[in-house]
Amino acid sequence: MKQQLSDFGLKVTKVPLFCDNTSAINLTKNLVHHSQTKHIEIRHHFIREQVSNSICEIKFIESEKELADFFTKPLAKDRFNYLRTELRILDYPNVA
Amino acid sequence: MSMMGELNYFLGLQIKQLQNGTFLNQSKYCRDVLKKFEMDSCKETSTPIATSCYLDADEHGTAVDQTKFRGLIGSLLYLTASRPDITFVVCMCARFQENPKESHFNAAKRILKYLKGTTNVGLWYPNEATLNLKGYSDSDFAGCKLDRKSTSGTCYLLGVSLILWNSKKQACVALSTAETEYIAAGNCYAQIC
Repeated sequence: MKQQLSDFGLKVTKVPLFCDNTSAINLTKNLVHHSQTKHIEIRHHFIREQVSNSICEIKFIESEKELADFFTKPLAKDRFNYLRTELRILDYPNVA
Repeated sequence: MSMMGELNYFLGLQIKQLQNGTFLNQSKYCRDVLKKFEMDSCKETSTPIATSCYLDADEHGTAVDQTKFRGLIGSLLYLTASRPDITFVVCMCARFQENPKESHFNAAKRILKYLKGTTNVGLWYPNEATLNLKGYSDSDFAGCKLDRKSTSGTCYLLGVSLILWNSKKQACVALSTAETEYIAAGNCYAQIC
């Protein structure tokens, strides 16, 4: 996608990636070897490489503001509507 | 190539170019799907899935017509092109295509009920100058009760609008929430490179 955006004349350098789990963020910065993490397959450490090459930047975000929540679990009405508006998924009359 | 004027309808996708932005939806296709599955006069619901909804293999349930179920899932999958709000549920229902039961069919029908109330919903891309890319990744630890695999969800926003999203059951079993989030972040970042 980076390639596609650069075709449109948009230069993307350091993309911030928001994650709501601090342990996962720490794993990307410093791989601590202990029994809980040593089994993670090597291909999943791709993200770590990107972070250490400073191509990617992982930031913490509170679970309430985590927009990707929308794609992982069944949500209640209020939360569902809140995220839907945040993602600009709108009804046509509300747009115009 | 000939100039045919402004793009407004392409493969079922309706594009409206307004003064303050562009709006994408599939309301016509959505109405056609509702008509095809005889759900055009059903009641409306506000969310596509109940929070307490728990789908499993349901081995003792009554079997439903596989062809019809697959047709429904296929139609809904095409609709996800402009409807990220149903992506997760459609993908969840799609896992039971091999042996669909009454409970799965009811879950799929609830999506149609939700669509009935939100036919005109679509993606909005306002004309805003700031075009910075932001990624979000999240996961649901052991979301699938059958094999305890997690679901990862990712989305990318360019400025304020959604441009890329996905919802996928992870290929491996994770032992901790940190691990699922780590895998989700890796998958999310792989999209951008």
